[in-house]
Amino acid sequence: MEDTITLAETWRIRNAAAATLLLTEDQMRRAVGAAGMEELVGLIETFAPGRSVGPEWTRTFEVLIERLWSWRDDATMTALADIFRARGMPWAGVANALAPEQGEHLRTTLRHPAWARLPAFAVA
Amino acid sequence: MGLVQGLASVDRLREEIRDVRYREATTTFCRLMTEQSRSMRDMIQAAIASAAPFVQVPSHLMRLPNGELRGVNYDHTILGWRGAISLMGELGGTRGILPNVQAMWYVPQGLNVWEQVVCEFPGHYARDGEQCGRRFPGADEHVNRFDGPAWNPPKIYFEDHAAIEGGSADDRLARMQWAIAEGDKAEAYGLFLGLANDPAQRHRLKDAILFAGITDLQDTIINRGGYQNIGHKALRARALVDIADYLGWENAHDLIYTVVPDLGCSPRLYGLWTEISTICRMELPDQAAIPKRSGKPLTERELDILTDALLWGGPFDVNAVVMGFFRRGAGLLDVGDAVIVCFQRYLIDVLEHPNAFLHPTHALDYMNVVQSWIRDYGNPHQVKAVFMGARFMNDTIRSNANFPRDPAVALEPRQAYRAWADSVPLDRMLALLKTHVLAQDAPRSCALVDSWLDRTTERHDLLDAITYAACHWQNDPHVMRNCASSLEEFRHNRTSRRDDIVRGFVKHQSRYVKRAPTHDCYQVYAEHFRPAA
Repeated sequence: MEDTITLAETWRIRNAAAATLLLTEDQMRRAVGAAGMEELVGLIETFAPGRSVGPEWTRTFEVLIERLWSWRDDATMTALADIFRARGMPWAGVANALAPEQGEHLRTTLRHPAWARLPAFAVA
Repeated sequence: MGLVQGLASVDRLREEIRDVRYREATTTFCRLMTEQSRSMRDMIQAAIASAAPFVQVPSHLMRLPNGELRGVNYDHTILGWRGAISLMGELGGTRGILPNVQAMWYVPQGLNVWEQVVCEFPGHYARDGEQCGRRFPGADEHVNRFDGPAWNPPKIYFEDHAAIEGGSADDRLARMQWAIAEGDKAEAYGLFLGLANDPAQRHRLKDAILFAGITDLQDTIINRGGYQNIGHKALRARALVDIADYLGWENAHDLIYTVVPDLGCSPRLYGLWTEISTICRMELPDQAAIPKRSGKPLTERELDILTDALLWGGPFDVNAVVMGFFRRGAGLLDVGDAVIVCFQRYLIDVLEHPNAFLHPTHALDYMNVVQSWIRDYGNPHQVKAVFMGARFMNDTIRSNANFPRDPAVALEPRQAYRAWADSVPLDRMLALLKTHVLAQDAPRSCALVDSWLDRTTERHDLLDAITYAACHWQNDPHVMRNCASSLEEFRHNRTSRRDDIVRGFVKHQSRYVKRAPTHDCYQVYAEHFRPAA
């Protein structure tokens, strides 16, 4: 018999990874929910080209934005948008991601299937 | 266009070029062909000769008063001609004249770059990139004086030199390459002129200048500002070779004057070349014996692995993946073809912001130079150039990824328009495609191309339609150059995913940022040559 991994085994590995991710997402949700404005600004600033640890980090900006819009209220998001809008052109893309119309778009398009424990967030 | 008076002449063309009167120069260029039956070849040679003294810069780095450095752009006039000459054959007939008129339109705008970037001379860098009109307005606030005409003659930063003759060809070729690497522009230029006079050395000379251009490439552009060349040394070398073959080497002096001194200009960047040389020496001891085609092209799985490394991996992932292909016996062009098609997924699936196309498509054009060098020459270093091209692509992708995505420039998915595209009859599709490329409507343009590719095996007319539409846009030689690269690589590519080159091409040409919203140059062309459509 050939020593290859079965589909069921592969699926079990995938489910284990998903369980880990679910626990991580829950920790992140609680951390984002508890964060003050200064902490949130500090996190977003790490996505600037001069501060980012690299493209792999910056590529997760959209992933973070989905979660911020899901886990924080409009007042917080508006305050964040104002802070980054005031910094001018280099931060325009970030400010646009925090703009109310982008929040409305994300919240209305982010699917949450009835059988799933989390909305269909982007993973990476 | 207003009435044009007086006799068109080459002297007049030369004067209009140097005065940065690009509309008038383009009209004279067209009139010389239509009224006096001057050949396109003669007119291109005259235009290159008129610009040649004014395209060199002292350096591609300018020291600012505070001690920092800024980049100084590379001459693009010659890149426009190279693309246009290539497209003349692709488009054919009257349509093939359009890219050349576009190249002519750009030439007066691309002189004296050093003065342009400090707002002391008009042209497209001063007018567009540096926004000099806002910083240093003229008496009439409604007129941007950086659109021309010039108020000073353009400066000459490198005088013409005599050919250096004497000594063996081997010795002179070696000295020329060393002079380029060491930045001795006068020596490199003189030696090249001398070698170019000898038809027996021509093939070796072309190989040597392409090699010199390809090896000078930055290892990264991430946060590097002007300390890079984004492949321009290679692009210029290719332009020299192609245009000299077109003009005839006996007519190529001014072309050589335009290109060769700049190969030795600062900065010269050999860090990546050194890295790739080192790993090839360690892992590919028989590198010079790697065949161009091996009969072992990349599998579908290997194409997926390469795509993942180029788009989502880091530089050492790219090294490892490409090395693996060569170690298992793939040929130079097998891997090069794969690099070209795998890169297309970035254009097709990832890129959205119109400004973000610029660097990655320079990498595509660089890879085209690499592939053509491998196809036409037998240099033992060619395997390293495949690594260089793949690394350059990966680096530009990583550089773009270092900026958070801006949802304000999000694109609708092309799939949203697929049903609409499938409903368009084939015989109406290409005219509609031209309309959507001209409207810079990427989702619909891409959907039409997807539909065409699935419904018919015809490709020539499809590529012709995209190219001709793209060449309506003015002030930008990158357009012609990228069209030429895409068409050439499509023709030669042997992978199963060759059509992805068309998909990437149409996305680029229907989304990439434009330097002018109008088609004035096309109107000049249409007035003089009266194309059918």
